[in-house]
Amino acid sequence: MAKPLDPITTSVVQHRLSSVVEEMGEAMLRTSYSQILNASRDFSIAICDTRSRLIAQADHIPVHVGALPWAVRAVEAAFTGTIEPGDVILLNDPTTGGSHLPDVTAFVPVFGEGVRRYWTVVRAHMGDIGGATHGAYNPAATEIWQEGLRIPPLKLYEAGRLRTDVLDLIALNVRFPRDFRGDLAAMIGAAHLGERRIERLFREIGAERVEQAVEAVLDGAERQARAVVSGWADGTYRGEALLDDDGRGREDVRIVATVTKRGSDLSVDLSESDPQSASFANSSHANTQAAVAMAFAYLIDPDIPKNDGAFRPLSVTLRKGSVVWADDHLPVTLCTTHPANEIVEAIVKALSAACPERAMAGWSRRFRISVTGDNPRTGKRFIWHMFHARPGGGASPAGDGWSGAGEWHSVGGIKFGSIEVAEARFPLRFDRHEFRAGSGGEGRHRGGLGTAMDLVVEVPAYAHTAGEGARHGAAGLLGGRDGAPHDYRLVSQGSSRPLRTKEFGIEIAAGDRLEVRSGGGGGWGRPEERAPEAQACDLTRELTQGGHAGGQE
Amino acid sequence: MSDRYRIGIDVGGTFTDLACVDAAGALTFLKTPSTPEDQSVGVMTGLSELAERLGLDLPGLLARTARIVHGTTVATNALLERKGARTGLLTTRGHRDILEMREGLKPERYNLLLPPPEPLVPRDLRRAVPERIGHDGAVVTDLEEAALDAEILRLKEAGVEAVAVCYLHSYRNAAHERRTAERLAALMPEAYVSLSSNVLPQIKEYERVSTAVVNAYVGPAVRRYLESLARRLAAIRFEGSLFIILSQGGVAPLAEAARLAAATVLSGPAGGVAGSRRVAALKGAPDLIPFDMGGTSTDVSLLEGGSIALSADRGLAGERIALRSLDIISVGAGGGSIARLDAAGILQVGPQSAGARPGPVCYGQGGQSPTVTDANLILGYLDAEHFLGGRRRLDAEACAAAMDALAARLSTTRDEAAAGIYRLINLKMADGIRLMTLRRGVDPRRFALLSFGGAAGLHAVEVAREMEMERVLVPAMASVLSAWGMLNGDLRYEVARSHLGDLASLDPAALALIFAPLEEEATARLAVWFDGAIRVERVAEMRYGEQIFEIEVSLDGLDLAARDAVKELEARFHRRHEELYTYASPGQEVVLVNARVVAVGAVEPPQLASSPAAPSPAKPGPVAPLRSRRAFFGTWREVPVYAFASLPSGMVLPGPAIIEAETTTVVIGDGDTLTVHAFGWLDIRVRCNA
Repeated sequence: MAKPLDPITTSVVQHRLSSVVEEMGEAMLRTSYSQILNASRDFSIAICDTRSRLIAQADHIPVHVGALPWAVRAVEAAFTGTIEPGDVILLNDPTTGGSHLPDVTAFVPVFGEGVRRYWTVVRAHMGDIGGATHGAYNPAATEIWQEGLRIPPLKLYEAGRLRTDVLDLIALNVRFPRDFRGDLAAMIGAAHLGERRIERLFREIGAERVEQAVEAVLDGAERQARAVVSGWADGTYRGEALLDDDGRGREDVRIVATVTKRGSDLSVDLSESDPQSASFANSSHANTQAAVAMAFAYLIDPDIPKNDGAFRPLSVTLRKGSVVWADDHLPVTLCTTHPANEIVEAIVKALSAACPERAMAGWSRRFRISVTGDNPRTGKRFIWHMFHARPGGGASPAGDGWSGAGEWHSVGGIKFGSIEVAEARFPLRFDRHEFRAGSGGEGRHRGGLGTAMDLVVEVPAYAHTAGEGARHGAAGLLGGRDGAPHDYRLVSQGSSRPLRTKEFGIEIAAGDRLEVRSGGGGGWGRPEERAPEAQACDLTRELTQGGHAGGQE
Repeated sequence: MSDRYRIGIDVGGTFTDLACVDAAGALTFLKTPSTPEDQSVGVMTGLSELAERLGLDLPGLLARTARIVHGTTVATNALLERKGARTGLLTTRGHRDILEMREGLKPERYNLLLPPPEPLVPRDLRRAVPERIGHDGAVVTDLEEAALDAEILRLKEAGVEAVAVCYLHSYRNAAHERRTAERLAALMPEAYVSLSSNVLPQIKEYERVSTAVVNAYVGPAVRRYLESLARRLAAIRFEGSLFIILSQGGVAPLAEAARLAAATVLSGPAGGVAGSRRVAALKGAPDLIPFDMGGTSTDVSLLEGGSIALSADRGLAGERIALRSLDIISVGAGGGSIARLDAAGILQVGPQSAGARPGPVCYGQGGQSPTVTDANLILGYLDAEHFLGGRRRLDAEACAAAMDALAARLSTTRDEAAAGIYRLINLKMADGIRLMTLRRGVDPRRFALLSFGGAAGLHAVEVAREMEMERVLVPAMASVLSAWGMLNGDLRYEVARSHLGDLASLDPAALALIFAPLEEEATARLAVWFDGAIRVERVAEMRYGEQIFEIEVSLDGLDLAARDAVKELEARFHRRHEELYTYASPGQEVVLVNARVVAVGAVEPPQLASSPAAPSPAKPGPVAPLRSRRAFFGTWREVPVYAFASLPSGMVLPGPAIIEAETTTVVIGDGDTLTVHAFGWLDIRVRCNA
């Protein structure tokens, strides 16, 4: 039998696998073509095993990661017994482990000593995936087919041979085939880089010993996670969060989490959540699983590795036909942000009674704009996704929230990218991009500030919005106030109008301005308990207005 | 003159190290306490002591000295301890928060309880100026001088000592930044001014603003210090050249270091890397983990195949510094780290350090809290009578009393408390090595640990054992390797410019036109400080059109006059891309982003053959120990103590043993084996459990 592992080998394997995913992520970041990937890092990297377990992941976008094992499960089911070295598999469809259609996932199998052992997995949000409108976010969609091309698990490479006809088919169905091909090349390149690194590890240590070490790593993470959960108060807790609307006239769509904590186990039941929407404001099964895992990851110790072991204490109950698990034909593109953010918030609110010293106030909602038009400098069409004007993070027991650090699903993981580079690449001018005073929720600890952005679009263009949080701000916790909601406006030829969170086909004339005021994070603890020095400092720094946080500008 | 000296001076948190080489290669070195209030005091004391060793007086030594190379921690400390200048920032109106936004990124993704850091320039000192340059360099909004003047006066009123200026697209058109500098000179002539277009003329505003701000924040302290040092040296008629070693490993004259103060944050460690490289070459051991443990901090780097990476991704103390620098990790712990009980009553070592003043309890300078050094004295690894060659008597009684007090609170014995501190600091040091190796997927076990810095010898073997590294090297000048290494640093002057454009649209003449002025500038600047032959390195930073990160492509050996020069450069880019990322996309357009030129003035490394520790090869037999003393290796043992300089090459010695030199002590444990190599260097085979 294999000899027992020494702790140094386990440590080498654990750190090596995490450095492999980091290196894959770095390669992806540096080689991808679309702004959404290279500037804004909307991609994730993982290593899974053939039993679909998450072995290692890079800390990119938390909401992608918990979903990846479901995708591996679909790939294993689709190609049982036919996976060969040199295969590259793609998928994006939510019925087979995808989150939403723009997130395309590439898988490369990794063999060691003749046996298939791992997958390197890269999931990336593509700039466009075909469908009725550019950029996949289609507020008008009533069916998933209107959101883009659906890709079940398919082999793009068979034993190292590219199926050019398949690639051509996909590229023909998206709006920016050159970018798409570039991004796909970057994804596959990153997955192959991971494959090479793991193969080297096999050669150094032996594939069997690597697998032994991986079991030790997973079990260790489980032990740590259970130790944390054991410290929380037993009980059944309830938390609720609201979506503004579904874009079809239904307001205040409820996400309800009933969380039962017993011993070192935690079960999350979302089945009381409202029925599914007729619009893209729905979640897919894998995405909801990922959102629950994300909430759990925020509440346990940050240094516990996010792998299969860490999530073993967790079980999830969902009801098909609800907004958190929509029927297969329904659109779901909004899901990785909404209702993912509301799912996290409902769970954290519920558990704030069980572990108040760990629970943080609400991070903001996502309210995106994509703009498309012709770029006179290149003579080509452009598409720009707004990742600037980041909203504020929630305050916590430890201190004020991070200003401009984002939403629950990204928590400071999305880089908004250089304004200078954006201006050099797109016909846009950022006249203003700075903190939005007064937007952070009041509290003993203040919520982080949102951002005030004035953006001049220099050419005629079209825009869509997709998002949430113009009515409901990020939740305050334990007496803290909610952060200010988003307030976006279009100023066209002197007249200004508010933008709704789910608008399709907004016409923009050359020289129009988008005035974006993004929301602030929730406050933590009662505002009367805020230290006077902190209040004075906020005033000197013009972070609040007239001594009041939590107001509008 | 046969005695043209070269002197390397490395100021650390606790000691100032000096290494002096004469024309024949004879090496003299010493340590003297640092003087943190004004580091130049310790430097001058060290020079006087050095003169005495050489049988000279200070003016006599300096008259015979051709070059002094100096590593300073003034910038490092200012940043780490947050004791830099009160700094203001002038920035484009509407863009007041670039610095604090940090591009939307927060570290530690899953730690939502991490509070946001305080920016180096608080928001009330970040002042927006009406002006705007477009992406093409055209002026969109003129600089409003009245408003600029008002903001400058506001900063002046707020007691600001240094001002960073960073306007959007100033890498393309620096006119507004330059005009702002003129107004600052008129209204705040005493202020240290740091223009982003001067410090880092490259696209990407966060990197530029952060680097310019760090530069301003540390600039006044660095400038003040260097001026004070220059004055002191000039007063005794030093007429040789004085250089500062920079984070990128090259050396530069004072004025340049004062201008680019942010480039000195890794000044001392850069000397250590230069020394390690030289050791790797002399020893034929290209895979080394340099482990430099001093009193206040410990630096770890990684030499693979004898070389170390340059990185533009670095920062210090959470601040982004986008200047290129050597890849070095610094751990905030060392011999001076203080042992204490935390809130839970658990023994912790560091992060507080006793520094040079008051220093460890045993220094008898008023230190009350036991430190790692005190633990080493209790355990018998250090000798109260022979510290610094007997020049500093250690106060063993005060040390024992302080350790007893700690032990009482831990309900344990003095020895156990000291042994606990020793074990904890070793684990902390091992963590630093983990960060540099395992965290990057490198197995440390195939490397040798290169032990240097005053405190490293006491811990290196145990740290290596923790990491299962089987080999530790200790060169004879280990305690002053950084200072000695500085004598090996080449002179480097680097200039870069953003030139965003399709490579295909360039012909070789246009390409040459981009590089020619940079080469001219770099060589002209270097020629002012250096009269030898200058070598030029040219690098193009390139990417595919839609990517936003560049990769470096060397132009070495590329004839820019050749007709196919652009084609060849493009081919090199595709090849490099494939090497790094497994694929290339020939046919996609390639963009040139930055052109970078480094002028290098090579320095001939000092010889080592006649090092004072060099053995006489005639008598390779064993030597007798100096003495023996009781030291703690799990139990108290009577252990032989050898003089480092007396060990002949070829001698083999089993542990436990203690090797003493004037400036360092090396502890070798039970089951370890020491072999003495050429130059009298120690090569220790470490017993590992696996």
